[in-house]
Amino acid sequence: MRILIVEDEKKVASFLKNGLEEEHYAVDTAFDGEEGLALAHINEYDLIILDIMLPKLDGMEVLRRIRANGSCVPIIMLTAKDSTDEIISGLDSGSDDYLTKPFSFAELLARVRALLRRGIKERTDLLKVSDLSLSISTHQVKRGEKKIELTPKEYALLEYFMRNPNRVLTRTLIAEHVWDYYFDSSTNIVDVYVNYLRKKIDRGFEKKLIHTIRGSGYMMKDEPCC
Amino acid sequence: MLLRNIRFKLTLWYIVILGIILTSFSTFLYLTLSRSLYKGIDIKIKSIAEVIASSSTNPYSQYSFSNIDRMLEDSFGVRPVTKFIQVLDESGRIGRKSDNLQHFQLPISIRTLKNASQGKVTFETIKALGEYPLRMVTVPVIRGRNLINIVQVATSWEQVEEALNTLLLILWITVPSALVVASLGGLFLANKALRPVDEITKTARMITSKNLEQRIKLRKSNDEIGRLAETFNDMISRLGRSFKQMRQFSADASHELRTPLTIVKGEIEVGLRKQRPLEEYRRILKSNLEEVDHMSQIVNDLLFLSKADMGEIQLQRNRIDLAQLVTEVHAQAKMIAMAKDIEVSMSTDSHVVVIGDRLRLRQLLLNLVDNAVKYTPEGGEMVISLESNDSQVKLRVLDNGIGISPEDQPHIFDRFFRVDKARSREAGGSGLGLSICKWIIEAHGGEISVESEPGKGSTFTVTLPVAPPEEELTGAKSMAKVPAFQD
Repeated sequence: MRILIVEDEKKVASFLKNGLEEEHYAVDTAFDGEEGLALAHINEYDLIILDIMLPKLDGMEVLRRIRANGSCVPIIMLTAKDSTDEIISGLDSGSDDYLTKPFSFAELLARVRALLRRGIKERTDLLKVSDLSLSISTHQVKRGEKKIELTPKEYALLEYFMRNPNRVLTRTLIAEHVWDYYFDSSTNIVDVYVNYLRKKIDRGFEKKLIHTIRGSGYMMKDEPCC
Repeated sequence: MLLRNIRFKLTLWYIVILGIILTSFSTFLYLTLSRSLYKGIDIKIKSIAEVIASSSTNPYSQYSFSNIDRMLEDSFGVRPVTKFIQVLDESGRIGRKSDNLQHFQLPISIRTLKNASQGKVTFETIKALGEYPLRMVTVPVIRGRNLINIVQVATSWEQVEEALNTLLLILWITVPSALVVASLGGLFLANKALRPVDEITKTARMITSKNLEQRIKLRKSNDEIGRLAETFNDMISRLGRSFKQMRQFSADASHELRTPLTIVKGEIEVGLRKQRPLEEYRRILKSNLEEVDHMSQIVNDLLFLSKADMGEIQLQRNRIDLAQLVTEVHAQAKMIAMAKDIEVSMSTDSHVVVIGDRLRLRQLLLNLVDNAVKYTPEGGEMVISLESNDSQVKLRVLDNGIGISPEDQPHIFDRFFRVDKARSREAGGSGLGLSICKWIIEAHGGEISVESEPGKGSTFTVTLPVAPPEEELTGAKSMAKVPAFQD
C-alpha cells in the first residue's frame, strides 16, 4: 500500500514516513502543496496524509484539486487548529478523515487501516484468499495453520495481492503500490520479490495462489489458472 | 420604576414646564383683564358723575337734578339702567336719586363726606346691596370755593365678576386638558424619538463575543440617535477587530506550540514501537530536545508579551552609554555569526547616552542580530552601526541576507507573522522576536523601522531620543523631558 505524506514540517514528515514504512507501507513525502499535488497526479496512491497549512498551495486547495481530478483516493487531513469550520470545510471538500495535531501515531495507523479497508467488501481486519490469511493490524500471515514469516517488502506485496484478488496486476501497478518514488523501474525487482513471495506461500502447497499472466503481470486466485 | 424610564421623565419635565407656562399665562391674563375691567367701571362711573356734576354747576343747563335719567340719556345716548345715581346737598342729605334705586339709597360715610368737602373724589366698594358688590364714586360739585352738591354714581360689579368667573372656569378646564393632551403628545413624541434607542438596546443585548458581526440598522438621518447608532456600530467593529486579533493570536500561539508537540509525541511514539539501536534513540532524544527548547522559547516570548500587554514589565530608567552597549553586542554577534561564517563589522559614535533599561535594550539588539544571522546566508556580512545628533540616536543592524518582500514588510512586527514558516521554524524562531523588539523600543519612546530589498538584504533602524545632559536630570522639572515609560 502506497501512501503520500504532504507535510511542510520536515520532522513531522520524517517520523510519519519512518513509522509508516515500519508498518510495511511504501511512503512518499512532499514538503509543499504544489509538490504534493504533482506527486498525487503522477502516482496512484492508496492513501494521502495531507497537512492543511502548507506553503505555496494550502492543503484545502490541494484537496479540492485532487478531487476535481476525479480521484477517490482516501485522504486524511492533519490540522494544527481546533477550528471546527476548517474541519467541516475539509470534510465537505472531500477529505475522508482528519486528525488534530498533536495526534497519536497509533491512532493515525488505525485510521489509515480503516480507510484502506474501505476498498474491500468485508470490513474486516483479516484478508483471506483460499486458506491463506493476513491480519492487517498484526501483520500475521498464515497458510492453513502454518505461520509464514515475511520481510516488510514481501508483506507489502502480499497485502497488495490480497487486497486485489482475481485481478491482473501489472508490474507497473505493483511497483506503484508497493514501492515508493525512488523505485527504479528499469530493474526486475518486482519479479524477484514475487518469486520470494511464491517460495514462502506456495511452495509445498498443492494449490498455487500466485499465478503468472504471461505478457502482463501476476494474479492472485483461488483456483488454478486457465 | 417609571422614573427610571427616560420617556416618562421627559414627558414629566415637559408637562411641568408647560404647566408653569400655562399657569403664569392664565394668571397674567386673569389679573390684567380684571384690572382693566375694574378700571373701566371706575372710569365710566366717574365720567357719568362728572357729567352730572358739570350740568348742575352750569346755570344755563336745561336740566335740573329732577330729571337725571333724561339728561343722561341725552349725554350718553342710552339710558344707563344699571347705574345708580344719587345727588346730595352739601350736608349729605339726599336731594335726588335715579329711579332704579327705588326706595334704596346709596350710603355716604363721614370720610367720604369729608373728602368731598375738600374737593376730592372718592371711590368705594359697597358690599351691602345684592349678590355682587357695588362700585361707587362720590364727586363733589364746587362752585367758587364752596361745596354745593355731592354726586354719587354706583354700578354693580356683576358683569365684571361674571366675566371674570367665566374666564376662570374656562382656564380651569382648558389648562388641565391642554396638559393632558400635551402629555399624551409628549409621550408619543418621546416614544417615537426613543424607539431607535430601544432598537439599539435590543441589538446590544444580542451581541456577545460570538456574534460581533451584528450591526444596528442605520437610518439615513444624521441626528443624535443616528450618530449614536453609528458610534455604537463603530465600537462593535473595533471590538470585533480586537476579538478577532485575540482569537488569531491564541490560534497562532496554539498552532506554534502544536507543531513541536506533534514532533515530540510522534517521534517518541514511533521510537517506542520496537527495539532500536542506541544511535536511533540518541537521534530521537536530540531532536526532542531541540523541540523542547523551541517550545520554551515560544512560552518565554509569549509570557514576555502578555506581561508587557498587562503592563507588568517594569523598565529601569538609567543613563546608558549606547556606544558601550553596541560594542558588547558586537562581540557577542561575532560569536553567533561565526557558525555561519558571517562577517560582523561595527561603527559607533563615542559616548552616546540614552535613558532606558540596559537589559531590555541589549535584548532588543541581540534579537535584531539573531534575526539578521538567521536570514543571512553563510559567508554574508552584517553591520551594527550607531550614529547620533543632538536629539536622536539611530541604531542600525544591516545584513546582506535574503531580505523581505515589500508586501511582507508591514507585517513583520506582527505577532507570529512569518515570511517563510518552514525556514524560520528550522532556524528556531518563535515568531515573536520582532514583536518583542517593537514593544521594547516603543516603551522607550523610540521607533523601529525596516528597509529591505529581497535578495539584497535588510536594514533595521532603531531611533531613540538622546538623554538630556546630566545636570538637568537633578532638577525635578527636567523629569518631564524623560520619555514616559509604560509601567
